[in-house]
Amino acid sequence: MLLSMLVLLILNPSELLSEMLSASTDALELCIELCAIYAVWLGFMELVDASGLGEKLARLLRPLIKKIFKVEDKTTQKLIAMNISANMLGLGNASTPMGIRAMQALDDGSGKANFAMIMLIVVNATSIQLLPTTVIGLRTAAGSTSASNIILPTLISTFVTTFLGIVLVKLISKVRRKR
Amino acid sequence: MIDIYILPILFILIFVYCLFKKINTYDTFVKGAKGAIKLVVEIFPYIATILIATTLLRVSGITTFLTQILSPIFTALGIPPELVELVLLRPFTGSGSYGILENIFKVYGADSYISRCACVIMGCSETIFYVATVYISQTKVKKLLYAIPVALVCSLVGTIVACLLCKIM
Repeated sequence: MLLSMLVLLILNPSELLSEMLSASTDALELCIELCAIYAVWLGFMELVDASGLGEKLARLLRPLIKKIFKVEDKTTQKLIAMNISANMLGLGNASTPMGIRAMQALDDGSGKANFAMIMLIVVNATSIQLLPTTVIGLRTAAGSTSASNIILPTLISTFVTTFLGIVLVKLISKVRRKR
Repeated sequence: MIDIYILPILFILIFVYCLFKKINTYDTFVKGAKGAIKLVVEIFPYIATILIATTLLRVSGITTFLTQILSPIFTALGIPPELVELVLLRPFTGSGSYGILENIFKVYGADSYISRCACVIMGCSETIFYVATVYISQTKVKKLLYAIPVALVCSLVGTIVACLLCKIM
């Protein structure tokens, strides 16, 4: 950030503050949009939770979550299960509030990210969605004649990234523990 | 075009299921929605900071400079040089990378090899820095250790795989 500020100071000093302000305005607009989106999805998730479906979903994914995240706490498992299923459906904005709550539940207050937290970030940051709806929508709008022929390559590569991410986190944490 | 029905059906199913389970849908929905404003107020400073940093990187021309330096390396990895900007900005900004994607559609045509690669890259990667910032914003964590490097390496591998798959499929 400092480096880009210095470069701007030399090249275009008048733009520094105005660009920062417009980025901040963008952030505010994004947050207002997110607030609306979160209201819908948090309401939805509350229904999922209250109806017992959240629990069912968690039970379904529990073996997988136990294996990948090594988390024993039931509530945390449920939050991670909801986060991951929202991600798979391509509902990035719905998965974020669940992810934040799961991170809070995983936090041990040491100031350092623990194994499960790193795993959750990596799984989320490598994208695990099954249907790239937004991209297909944009591609159709741009006049593509076969907008959905990206689905299969997307599925394969997103599987590769997430799988590699999980393996790498496991490996690194093992090496670190040995030391 | 099945995908436009997925979300509406999902919503209707949940409401029907809740009625079936005799849950007060109104009160429950309100209870959940209440959390939205508080959450957004708490994550706003983090989103603002990451957006400001990204904008400065772009406006200062540092990304253009990096694009030029990295082009030959990307070509060697099998990634078309036309996609360098997208690959570089993808970890930082969601809306920004969708803007680049639309531009690629416009310049190369939506059905071209470049556009297909771009689509698959978008699908297999995420806004890594944004996700990491927002996720740890409500915890005491200051050190993410190896989370970001691992995510970046995976995305790069995913990008290479994406370009390869688009060539053969």
